[in-house]
Amino acid sequence: MPPELLRDVLMRIEKSESTWPPRKNVVACAGVCRNWREIMKEIVKTREVSGKLTFPISLKQPGPRDSLLQCYIKRNRSNQTYYLYLSLDQALNEDGKFLLAARKLRRPTCTDYVISLNPDDMSKGSSTYIGKLRSNFLGTKFTAFDAQPPSAGSRVMKSRSTRLVNFKQVSPKVPAGNYPAVHISYELNVLGSSRGPRRMQCVLDAIPASSIEPGGVAPTQTEFVSSTLDTFPSFSFFRSKSTRVENLESGRPMSAPKDGMLVLKNKSPRWHEQLQCWCLNFHGRVTVASVKNFQLVASPEQGVAGTEHENVILQFGKVGKDVFTMDYQYPISAFQSFAICLSSFDTRIACE
Amino acid sequence: MSSSPPPSSAAASPSCPKKMIALRSSDGETFEIEEAAALQSKTLENMIDEDCAGTPIPLPNVTGKILAKVVEFCSKHAEPGVDDESLRAWDAEFVNVEQATVFDYILAANFLEIPTLLNLTCNVVADMIRGKTPDEIRKFFNIKSIFSPEEEEEVRRENHWAFE
Repeated sequence: MPPELLRDVLMRIEKSESTWPPRKNVVACAGVCRNWREIMKEIVKTREVSGKLTFPISLKQPGPRDSLLQCYIKRNRSNQTYYLYLSLDQALNEDGKFLLAARKLRRPTCTDYVISLNPDDMSKGSSTYIGKLRSNFLGTKFTAFDAQPPSAGSRVMKSRSTRLVNFKQVSPKVPAGNYPAVHISYELNVLGSSRGPRRMQCVLDAIPASSIEPGGVAPTQTEFVSSTLDTFPSFSFFRSKSTRVENLESGRPMSAPKDGMLVLKNKSPRWHEQLQCWCLNFHGRVTVASVKNFQLVASPEQGVAGTEHENVILQFGKVGKDVFTMDYQYPISAFQSFAICLSSFDTRIACE
Repeated sequence: MSSSPPPSSAAASPSCPKKMIALRSSDGETFEIEEAAALQSKTLENMIDEDCAGTPIPLPNVTGKILAKVVEFCSKHAEPGVDDESLRAWDAEFVNVEQATVFDYILAANFLEIPTLLNLTCNVVADMIRGKTPDEIRKFFNIKSIFSPEEEEEVRRENHWAFE
């Protein structure tokens, strides 16, 4: 069949299977042969601006620009695992497309959450390993690590035009490692006599602060680069490297982010005099009061309008005993959002 | 010198004979098609406009077997007074054929630039693909997949995740 006709057929499929579970047909087509794969990946790339989740790499790409992508997290206490799903409908029922799983591993001086594409294979050596979240001993500072460097296989997408600017990929193989992606810190909010809600700050290493300005762009990973565990002498080289970076970060005070990086802070709730509680408007997506609930907005220090950004970039909150909603949008990815939300489970600051 | 009458419309008067266009298939068969039906094909429309529609138009890319069906399709779609539902049902029957024949239709529709037929047949092929795993798709279309071990692994991981 002539290539333009094959392309026509594959485009029809991509267009009609725009939601999950039918979208798995798009993935199936990309697995038929190299020719089909190239065509389908190219079709999906050109529609990337819609923020649709298609291939696993979508989980590492910024969410949609003008709306929050609705997801939810289920906690399984028996196996210390958290499962992230994409919501398939508006109702808060648990019918979703599985995205990522995280398993909690408690260590002597810290806690790790290993994040994987396959809930049945949570090992760091596996090809399904995406990254991890590591907390300090007190549960006040966290670092999310990406299994691949943020610049690997990434390119910058122009927000308005359809012309894509491509970075030439330098080398297809990079060492499997842990590359810092997000730094999260929690602080007690000492507001007079009443104990206010805790303060959260997230610094996103790979996302420039300019990404949220009009016409801004965020780097987008376009493929998983294969890792070469065997060509590097020992895995521990990277482990120690990441520890070193961690030590540098943990010494940093909360109000001094790195230049140019996107900083998110939690939106200050309002004190509701009649209800005698702190309130945030979650627009129905959070139904159970919990100190874990939060909304993250761009930090006002980042040179935009003096008042706090109203645009909620990540929202997380409880809807059931072990069910939480997670809504996120551009410029952060599902992976980064999941890691930030996991930190909220772990921190023990201001927990009743 | 023959002047080409305007394309026959639904209100063509019976006294005015409809212009017929002659087509010749790759295997030498000749078919006649009403001009209105022929205009469904952009390729034929261009030829008619350029007034080269005198002698049988040779179509080396289409066999007699397929050309006969294409003429049938175009004639049906040029028929006045057919309601949408009937036409859809007729179309469904038209493509209720072997996979190989559907592909022949696609190639003919592509060559002759018949948007309606191309749309119909591409949708049929898309339907054949939907719901199948990569392996099933390969078997159905007799495609050999030549992935490198890394690509193979990535495909496996993607599909495991997608079908989770």
